[in-house]
Amino acid sequence: MKCNNIKDKIPDYLTGELEDSQRRSIQDHIAECLSCREELEEMTATWTRLGVLDEEQPSRDMRTKFYAMLETYKKEAEQKKTEEPRRSFGEWLSLWWPKRPAAQFALSATFLLVGLIGGFFIQSGSFQAQTAARLNEEIQSMRRTLAVSLMNQPSASERIKGINTSYDLEKPGAETIEMLLQTLNSDPNINVRLAAVDALYLFYNQPGVRDGLMNSLAQQTSPLVQVSLIDLLVDIRERKAVDAFRRLINKEELIPAVKEKAEEGIQKLSF
Amino acid sequence: MKAQNKGKKVDVFSDNQLMEQVRDGKVEKMAILFERYHMMLFNFMLRLTGNKNISEDLVQDVFYRMLRYRHTYKGKNKFTIWMYQIARNVHIDYLRKNKNAVPLDDQWEEIHSREPAPMEHMEQEKDIQLIRQAMSRLSVKKREILILSRFQDLKYKEIAELMDCHIGTVKATVHRAIKDLGKIYGELSGGITP
Repeated sequence: MKCNNIKDKIPDYLTGELEDSQRRSIQDHIAECLSCREELEEMTATWTRLGVLDEEQPSRDMRTKFYAMLETYKKEAEQKKTEEPRRSFGEWLSLWWPKRPAAQFALSATFLLVGLIGGFFIQSGSFQAQTAARLNEEIQSMRRTLAVSLMNQPSASERIKGINTSYDLEKPGAETIEMLLQTLNSDPNINVRLAAVDALYLFYNQPGVRDGLMNSLAQQTSPLVQVSLIDLLVDIRERKAVDAFRRLINKEELIPAVKEKAEEGIQKLSF
Repeated sequence: MKAQNKGKKVDVFSDNQLMEQVRDGKVEKMAILFERYHMMLFNFMLRLTGNKNISEDLVQDVFYRMLRYRHTYKGKNKFTIWMYQIARNVHIDYLRKNKNAVPLDDQWEEIHSREPAPMEHMEQEKDIQLIRQAMSRLSVKKREILILSRFQDLKYKEIAELMDCHIGTVKATVHRAIKDLGKIYGELSGGITP
């Protein structure tokens, strides 16, 4: 065996991934070759030295936290399962079509408008910026109406669609914000409430959103929504949230994982 | 040896089977996988980050992600390979989020090991500190591969699979990592390469 071959085999030699014949030929070679012998000895020494990094034991908390997380996850998954049975792609697509004629009309009008503008852009290179802005404002206004109207629907998936529609709003307006906050506080479905948290994240700089989020924390009972709200308030560095976190921690029924999250949030917002 | 291999095969099968059950909705089965692997993952994270609290959080995140992304589990590969892929991502995300975190060198000091006789204790502690310091100066990739091959009971082939690279790259990285580590250790322990 040549020196280069020996050096390639050293990692296998160390982990014992070598056949007997290969091991023997390495041993034969190093008996003759000083440079390879030195290299193998050095590497074996380092490999062996790593053995001082013994296994450590995690704290008992780790198990407690895992089981709390699993329990929460299981509950949420079961809830989701009963509310939203699995659907095929086609069914899923059809769900996007609103059931109320008014909402259908609004959605169709939006598509028509988008199509018209698109067509106009393609046909005419000298499209007036002013007209574009006006049409854009009209679309925005229509989207706001559509979002709010969908958020009032009896079906949870319709309401989620409404929330998703609000994502694209450049200026959500007071009515949309109010509707989102109301959904966050009183919607019976957890997935809808979670979607509302995501939407409000986009609009956290709008008037009333920060206070609305902090007040909402006290009203939430689902750990998932509590955690999302804590994450959001920490992400937007809302220092006033510390008080809301403290109040939450004092709740008796709060699960340990959320409590810890709130404590972590207080810590993060304190510097 | 033969019996051991046979035993291992049964283990692989049941890990995969458990994860498939988790994927198909029996999420409570994750508890068995937790009991089997949390120690291994904890020590993997600990050797990477040097901090017990952070490692515990990261392990929690690994199990959370395995639940959350359970639909992506295909069951074709060994469960541990998929698990370590997630663990690596969790660690990388942690590094990204904490670019300005306490340097690894300083974090190691929080760890307290067993307590043998005082003289021996001092020597051993010194050695442990030196190795940890030396490890922290390796690149993340070298550190990961070295830990996976030295402590996590994975074959080079498996490491290549989970890192999505060629087996030759893994071996070359192990080789370079050990050489670099020896050199750094030598410098730290008195300026002479062993």
